Amino acid sequence: MPVIGTFCVSVDKDVCVNAQSPGKCATCVEVCPYGVYEIDAQGQVHVNNYNTCVGCRICAEFCPANAIRINPAESEYLSRYPWTFGQIEEIHHKSLTGGYLLRGFGTAGPLPHFDGIVVVPSQLASESPRDKYREECQMEVVIGEDTAEEPITLRYPILFPAMSYGALSREAKLALAIGAAKTGIATNTGEGGVVPEEPYYANGYADPERKEQKWAPGGYLVIQWSTGRWGVSADYVNAGDAVEIKIGQGAKPGMGGHLLGAKVTEEIAAVRGIPVGSDALSPCRYYDVLSFEDMKKMVAFLRDVTDYKKPILMKLGPSRPYDDVRMAAEAGVDAISIDGICGGTGASPDVVTQGVGIPTIACIPPAVRALKDLGLHRKVKLIALGGIRNGLDAFKALAMGADAVGFGTAAEIAMGCRACMACHKGNCPYGITSQKPELRARLDPEEVGQRLANFVQATAEEIKILTMLSGHDDIRDLSEEDLRAVDINTAAITGLKMIGYERRLPWWENGHSS
Amino acid sequence: MSPVLDAKDQELKTVSRKLRKMLNGQPVVVKNAAHLHGLAAGLKHGEVVIEGHSGDYLGVLNDGATITVKGDAGKYLADNMTRGRVLVEGNADYGAGQYCYGGTVVVKGNAGDFTATMNKGATIIIGGDVGSEAGTYMLAGDLVIVGDAGANLGNYLIRGNIYVGGEWASLGHNTRLEPLTEEDVHKLEGYFAEHGIQADAHGFHKLAPLSAKPFYK
Ligand SMILES: Cc1cc2nc3c(=O)[nH]c(=O)nc-3n(C[C@H](O)[C@H](O)[C@H](O)COP(=O)(O)O)c2cc1C
Repeated sequence: MPVIGTFCVSVDKDVCVNAQSPGKCATCVEVCPYGVYEIDAQGQVHVNNYNTCVGCRICAEFCPANAIRINPAESEYLSRYPWTFGQIEEIHHKSLTGGYLLRGFGTAGPLPHFDGIVVVPSQLASESPRDKYREECQMEVVIGEDTAEEPITLRYPILFPAMSYGALSREAKLALAIGAAKTGIATNTGEGGVVPEEPYYANGYADPERKEQKWAPGGYLVIQWSTGRWGVSADYVNAGDAVEIKIGQGAKPGMGGHLLGAKVTEEIAAVRGIPVGSDALSPCRYYDVLSFEDMKKMVAFLRDVTDYKKPILMKLGPSRPYDDVRMAAEAGVDAISIDGICGGTGASPDVVTQGVGIPTIACIPPAVRALKDLGLHRKVKLIALGGIRNGLDAFKALAMGADAVGFGTAAEIAMGCRACMACHKGNCPYGITSQKPELRARLDPEEVGQRLANFVQATAEEIKILTMLSGHDDIRDLSEEDLRAVDINTAAITGLKMIGYERRLPWWENGHSS
Repeated sequence: MSPVLDAKDQELKTVSRKLRKMLNGQPVVVKNAAHLHGLAAGLKHGEVVIEGHSGDYLGVLNDGATITVKGDAGKYLADNMTRGRVLVEGNADYGAGQYCYGGTVVVKGNAGDFTATMNKGATIIIGGDVGSEAGTYMLAGDLVIVGDAGANLGNYLIRGNIYVGGEWASLGHNTRLEPLTEEDVHKLEGYFAEHGIQADAHGFHKLAPLSAKPFYK
């Protein structure tokens, strides 16, 4: 139940092909999955229902005459704060259905984020800057170096985090695999089983025999092991290049995955190994882990099942980062992902996405401290997730002490998403989060895989620029000294030195610990 | 004589690598393995006999092997098995047969709480009693309990069948009693004959799910 007039749809009749010659062109009618447009018996296109528009802008994108504009009609509601249109939508939804609101995408609304941090370039008082155009910069990240017989080497400090088949379409999963292969980074199955082509696509091969590499240099597939164990077998665990134990994710820490029966098509049911149409609700915890000792045993048997070859990762939601990361490291994993509150999702209860967990910038410093206290910083790799948008955010995360970052939502956007935040409806007009064949057909995995590769490459260049102008030629040398907090809040949260004051805030100096 | 692998004081990695090499046609007997958790994991073939007790997660991800425990099994026996058989002559601790997609688990003695949780297609037979919450969130397969069951039997059952020979403390959410059919009796008699269990299939009760979608209205 959308709010009346959340978006204004305006069609410029002076240029609209259909307005000029009715019966010609009804592209907007065809591409809109929400029934905003309609065509009448005379072949004339009308805006039929503004109220169903989610603002995905697919019509504007496909309009051959560039005649369509979609503008948010938010201003009226903004002035009525705290009764914003989102709040109104939520109350309407509850009052009409008796159910809470489930939503795709991530947290909407301002929380402390990377924007409160700036990068400090090098001048006289520090190492001279490096020359981005003429000098090399070490950007590789090795996971499982001394602990797995077949470690993985990411060419850039970037990966695509777990996004399940089911939440994403098959085409989107394959595009991610191709994007990873073309850039030498890793993609992740997510908790919904593996798309049959995913393992060899991720390694850069279009054929299962892996005869000839099509997408160089080839990347990696991380296999997610989760509480629902959808489609999990010994073969599944061994299908990729690493295994990730999911404890939680930023959008819904403390809850299991949600895939509603409506999205469990025949294909998805086959991969997940469950009957068509049944809800796939992952438990919130492992039924087969009763204690931390059991968790260690789980890490150990996953190493055994993969014959001690593949790195084992663990993924945490944003809760008590110091203690959680410390325990994850003590459980014996090779890398730990920690997701912030604004991390993306296929579907979560709105109140959980909005209000549960802590921001990404508040997760990284305690996580780094935990690893340092164990003498494992830079050995057990730390992967920062949640709201990372570009090379600048990535650089800040790396300088705070992470070894790599993940792009979930940003990867969706690189695939064409316009952030309409309606992933859970299953109508994604770009074919990214839909299981409908006609919408999926709009996503060509190779074309979109190239877009993802472009995005990763451009972002990696940004990381390189920032690394070198701050006087380094190796991302492992980045440190908090390369950053400053611009406001007292960010300085208080992160322990970074504050601009102007040029020191950490006093309580950080006094040996703060969490 | 079957080859014997003595696991005394040895690490999982050492024992596991030796075991994999030794599995070529003959059953392999493993001794002194109670301290090893996740032994015989993900095997695709072969026969393993554990002399004495086993640790936790025995035969996790089993994909075709036959594993027999002469004594008692630890927690999470045959966790996430897809194919094969895991047989225990004694008792099994908490969570036997959780997350299985297929294969058969037979425990001659009693089994603990949360037996067969999220079973997605395996046949899990307990010769004695089970603890509480057995068959929680089962999506497919059979759970056969020859003795009694604890509280909350079949909690959030979605698909699959639970058969109980004795009594139960209470039924979980989303279960109902269903009359035993001739087919059920036939199936149970087959299981009993195959595994040498003395029981009269006619006296069993059958639980089935109330609704395939208990979570949403
Ligand atoms: C469509 C979608 C599906 C997801 N599925 C999973 C999943 O199956 N398992 C998981 O651990 N995280 C899942 N996530 C969370 C991501 O792995 C990651 O934590 C998050 O997207 C990072 O935040 P960002 O989106 O701001 O980059 C999903 C996210 C999205 C957007």
